Amino acid sequence: MEPIAIVGIDCRFPGAPDTGAYWDLLMRSGDGVGKVPEQRWDADEFHSADGAEGHSNTVEGGFIGDADAFDNEFFTISPREAAAMDPQQRLLLQCAWRAIEDAGLSPQRLGGTDTGVFVGIMGNEWAQLHLTDYAKVTAQIGSGNGYCMTANRVSYHLNLKGPSLAVDTACSSSLVAVHLAANSLLAGECDTALAGGVNVAVTPALSIFYTQAGLSAPDGRCKPFGAEANGIGRGEGVGVVVLRRLSDALKDGQRVYAVIRGIAVNQDGRSNGLTAPNRWAQQDVLAAAYKRAGVDPAEVVFTEAHGTGTTLGDMMEVKALGHHHADRPGKPLALGSVKGNIGHTEGAAGIAGLIKVALALHHRVVPASRYATKENPALQLKQHGLRLLKAPLRLPSSPVLAGLSSFGMGGTNAHAVLESAPPAAARPAPHDKETAGGIGCGVYTVTAPGAAALRRNLAAQADAVAARRVSAQALAWTSNQVKTGHRYRFAVPAHDTADLAARLREAADDPDLLARLTAAPAGKPRTAFLFTGQGSQYGGMTAGLYRDSALYRRFLDEADDALLPHTGRSVRDLILAGDDDVHQTRWTQPALFAVEYALARTLTELGIRPDLLLGHSVGEYAAAVLAGALTLDGAARLITARGALMQQLPEGGGMLSVRAPLAEVAPLVDGEPLVGVAAVNGPEATVLSGDLGVLERIETELVSRGLTTRRLTVSHAFHSPLMRPMLEEFALVAREVGGGVPDIPVYSTVRGRVLDGEAMDAVYWIEHIGATVRFQDAADALLDTGPTHLVEIGPQPVLSGMVRRLGRRDRAGAPAHVLPVRGLDSGGRDVAEALAELYRGGAEPRWEAVYPAEERVPQPLVPYVFSDEHRYWAARRPTAAGPADSAPAAVPAPAAAPAQAEPAAAPAGVAVLERPAAPADPLSDTVQEVIAAVGGYETGDVFAHQRLYEDLGFDSVMIMELKTRLDERVTGLAHITVQDLLPRLKTVADLTGFLHESGATVTARTAPTAQEGRTA
Amino acid sequence: MSTPTAHIASIGTALPGDPVDNASLAKVLGVNEEWIEVFIGTKTRHFARDLGTGEVRWSLADLCAQAAQKALAAPGVDPADIEFIVLGTATPDTLMPATVNQVADQLGLDQVPTFQLQSGCAGAIQALSVGQTMIASGQYRTGLVIGGDVCSKHLDVQRDLSGAAPSDLVNFVLFGDGAGAAVLTAEPAGQRVALRHVLNRFTGLGRKPGQVIEWFGLADRHDDRQALTEDYKAIEERVPVMAVEILWELLGELDWEADDLDFLLPPQLSGRMTRRITEELDVPTAEEISCVADTGNNGNALPFLQIEKLLDRMADGHKALAVAVESSKWIKAGFALEKI
Repeated sequence: MEPIAIVGIDCRFPGAPDTGAYWDLLMRSGDGVGKVPEQRWDADEFHSADGAEGHSNTVEGGFIGDADAFDNEFFTISPREAAAMDPQQRLLLQCAWRAIEDAGLSPQRLGGTDTGVFVGIMGNEWAQLHLTDYAKVTAQIGSGNGYCMTANRVSYHLNLKGPSLAVDTACSSSLVAVHLAANSLLAGECDTALAGGVNVAVTPALSIFYTQAGLSAPDGRCKPFGAEANGIGRGEGVGVVVLRRLSDALKDGQRVYAVIRGIAVNQDGRSNGLTAPNRWAQQDVLAAAYKRAGVDPAEVVFTEAHGTGTTLGDMMEVKALGHHHADRPGKPLALGSVKGNIGHTEGAAGIAGLIKVALALHHRVVPASRYATKENPALQLKQHGLRLLKAPLRLPSSPVLAGLSSFGMGGTNAHAVLESAPPAAARPAPHDKETAGGIGCGVYTVTAPGAAALRRNLAAQADAVAARRVSAQALAWTSNQVKTGHRYRFAVPAHDTADLAARLREAADDPDLLARLTAAPAGKPRTAFLFTGQGSQYGGMTAGLYRDSALYRRFLDEADDALLPHTGRSVRDLILAGDDDVHQTRWTQPALFAVEYALARTLTELGIRPDLLLGHSVGEYAAAVLAGALTLDGAARLITARGALMQQLPEGGGMLSVRAPLAEVAPLVDGEPLVGVAAVNGPEATVLSGDLGVLERIETELVSRGLTTRRLTVSHAFHSPLMRPMLEEFALVAREVGGGVPDIPVYSTVRGRVLDGEAMDAVYWIEHIGATVRFQDAADALLDTGPTHLVEIGPQPVLSGMVRRLGRRDRAGAPAHVLPVRGLDSGGRDVAEALAELYRGGAEPRWEAVYPAEERVPQPLVPYVFSDEHRYWAARRPTAAGPADSAPAAVPAPAAAPAQAEPAAAPAGVAVLERPAAPADPLSDTVQEVIAAVGGYETGDVFAHQRLYEDLGFDSVMIMELKTRLDERVTGLAHITVQDLLPRLKTVADLTGFLHESGATVTARTAPTAQEGRTA
Repeated sequence: MSTPTAHIASIGTALPGDPVDNASLAKVLGVNEEWIEVFIGTKTRHFARDLGTGEVRWSLADLCAQAAQKALAAPGVDPADIEFIVLGTATPDTLMPATVNQVADQLGLDQVPTFQLQSGCAGAIQALSVGQTMIASGQYRTGLVIGGDVCSKHLDVQRDLSGAAPSDLVNFVLFGDGAGAAVLTAEPAGQRVALRHVLNRFTGLGRKPGQVIEWFGLADRHDDRQALTEDYKAIEERVPVMAVEILWELLGELDWEADDLDFLLPPQLSGRMTRRITEELDVPTAEEISCVADTGNNGNALPFLQIEKLLDRMADGHKALAVAVESSKWIKAGFALEKI
């Protein structure tokens, strides 16, 4: 068969809360078994050393920690629904999310694909507790139980549209699920598959069963193939792997833990007894898997056995393996079973073994098998070509084959043959090395549904990043791929790993800093590019960026190439050399044009596409190219001519900046043929330009009126009547170059408004030379359209200051000023900072352009850390009295009643949703109470702005209940149907508004308490 | 042509001064004698420093040279044949020159390659590993392998320990000083004990150190960091598991069965821990060779003290296996011997 790659893993097993801890437990031969937790059942009550009827012979087992914790808010599941859900559903959901992240994928981006979900499960104890009390069966209890729902819930919450099914073949369930997943991938039913298993012991039923069947180890521990093996110890666990066809995984450059070469399933058929293991069938399933993998059994180096530690089971398994390995040349087959560490995890046993084998092949060492030192001599392992792993086995760097068995109690057997990942896939390298790119600095992004979740995850990322010795850019690239999709966006530049770890740590620790680096954008940003004019140039401008960023180099070179035929000298070299010639207007103009063109193109290449453009004077040239009104070559020719012709004009002109409104200065200029108003930059910023003698006269007058003036250091009187002598010659070039209507709205500083279908053609550019730069008008018009971000395109910030001095008070809030180049020291880091700001604001950068190919390598990051604040468990534990006294509908454990939604826990300053104190409104209060009751929230946790579906996890069943309850509490709804209600249920406030419109009033009665609301 | 096998031709050890019993130690340190017996299980130890005055009487180089001299004086060994020296220690006299060179100087050896391996309980075995590799290379035929430690550098007799916590106290009563040396040869000579296999493996990836010994320079000499810290909980949990794995890995590597072993040299942590680990190793057919209860934990001297004791009992064809764990950064070590 075509090999199947394991590309992502997440798990939780006894004594091991995550994959890393699981591996550590295995490598130190740790023991995850302990006493039955109080929460499950009273182990002593059910204990009988000699296994009396209705009792278990052990008080121990392998239990996972925090099985009751569930981050329902993350999945927008209401507390009431969460409390009704089988913990197996909850654990699997979180595990699936983390496994996808571990695969280097964003779970949200996987949404909508044909990804399949295959879950092995055999425990149904939650249902046994909750579906037997018929009076308490609610809609939530219904969907909270059932095997299918474990898989279907993952598909639902992650929006995965491939096959979704649960498999119960008893103890082989999860390996059979992997088998089905692999076949589904091979059949082309899906391109990615999640396969896993889950097992949580809610009742002692199986412990009693094992005891009564003579299969239960008194110490609650499986001792696989051990001399002291005396039965099964129960274990819990949850594990999910992400599977791809190997060819797809390689094509996509995914990290591969290991590869499934062959996998087979069969049945005992009518054997020695329904539950008895059958060596012949096991032998056959091994043969089938070897055959499907196309391997000789002797090539298999080690096998993870089913190894339950029952006398008969161990014996059958050894004989079946011996059939294939007794005569093998070389070393005996190394054998072990994880059941010695964590117990028999039943429905999750196959996935526990699969993950162990995958990690062993990944780390190239097979952990020792616990209890192996005292092996059972009766098994005669050596004669069967087997050796139990008493010490870790180091694997060679060459390809290694491994086996994995999982056998079901009812006779459904599964065996898989795995192989170490192809060398290139174990540590993926970039595939396309040819195109140089990137900005020389990464942007590390983390998103979360709330501020508290963000803090928790930043802290986890900080710890993990600090422990790594890999490029910060590669980590950042992976974060962009994986840590996406939630509302709260955090972003910082990632230059080196130690610095990145420190920044993440600071942000996690300092709420004010976190608030500055986080935003929860409501929608897409509206971005304006503002291009600076003359005066902003300096020698060596953007040299740092040119050094750091291959992308910027590409575009500055491109601009230089376009200019060179006209300038005859490399403007790029002039800029980078820090040549003072850059201040001569013949060079200033093409140089600024080149820098602005390159910077704007760099940003658009990075996915930042401007919605609005504005250029101050010569800044309009690069803006026009970006808007498609001028070609690069045309603009290059035109700007070179413009600069050169101005340079040729006689010197003697000057410019005067006046801190006064135009109206106050204009009368002095009227009737002065040699002086004009060059620019109106703001309400108190007017610039005059023209003959030096006349300017001096005007300046004297202005100063005598108490106004502040400043002479600008310029070679010529730009935007003045003194420019006239060049117009004719410029017009010749301009007519040849032409120009079109911009594709992107350009707020013209010639016209002081947006160009309305007007071409930026020869007429425009000729007018541009002598016209007043009406920046104030143009900027006001632009700001009136409500941009969210103003990106200054130039070698240093000039226009952002001018915008601030316009003194506007925009109701929607001031736009953010984004400064990709701040000055002489700027480089890739400032562009990354700008990109981070834009990302926080809702932009979706083209991340692949941010990094050079060699940095676009997936790196493992810590998967999402879920909140363990909310806990849900069965209200009443099973008792020896029997199921007649079954538990009521589950309620949230009182120790941790669902707390407020995370945004409410946010510190001041973090983008917390607005919650103004509203005037008393009985109808609004009632609506909130009813919603709280239906969702199982505290009344105080329901707010007007919350969205019923997205924030409060409402579903159609809950809407029905909402209507019923509203009818009870509100008068005047008789004529309103659920259908009428549906369009008005976006937020809590919408519903209240609708009820007001409908003339509804609160029915006179005392409001129920929160407690009534909860248990109703 | 097969690679040459290294053989132990002779062994020598050196323990400074008279043994210090628990009663004397308890008196000087002001701790409970019974506590030492019950919780540490060590009866005597030797110190290179005068317990009364704190005066240094022997350097590490002195002890190593004494041990080496004894090994070189054994029948069938000629000091002139020594072609290399390897020393393993955690407590060198000075950082420079390396103590191994002072030892060479004391022994009158010159113009030979010397190596010093900075390591705790695994250092002696690492030294054996280097020696074995050099002989296996075919370039060298005879060499000197030494291990030793002077732990009493940290035995501050002025310190009042009456209120000290057990975890702190342990450091004062666990350790001792000493050195040992072996002459390795390419051909069987002297004792004719073949070194069949040596294991030296770092297994501490991602694990916190179980033991840290600081060193201080001019800039931080007044720093009040504890010079020696141990994570006893981790050591008690990890070392027995690692010891069992080492035993079985060595057996597997040699294709020996556990009941082929005539002698077992278990890790020498303390009288009590060594007893516990030996139980876990569970090779009842092999005779245990331990010394720590009498010598204290003197680090890299221990394997040589054990071998010395072993050689008294070993007959032709006997097999012995030694296990050591360095809990600093979790190093697995061990070796296998066979008398021919």
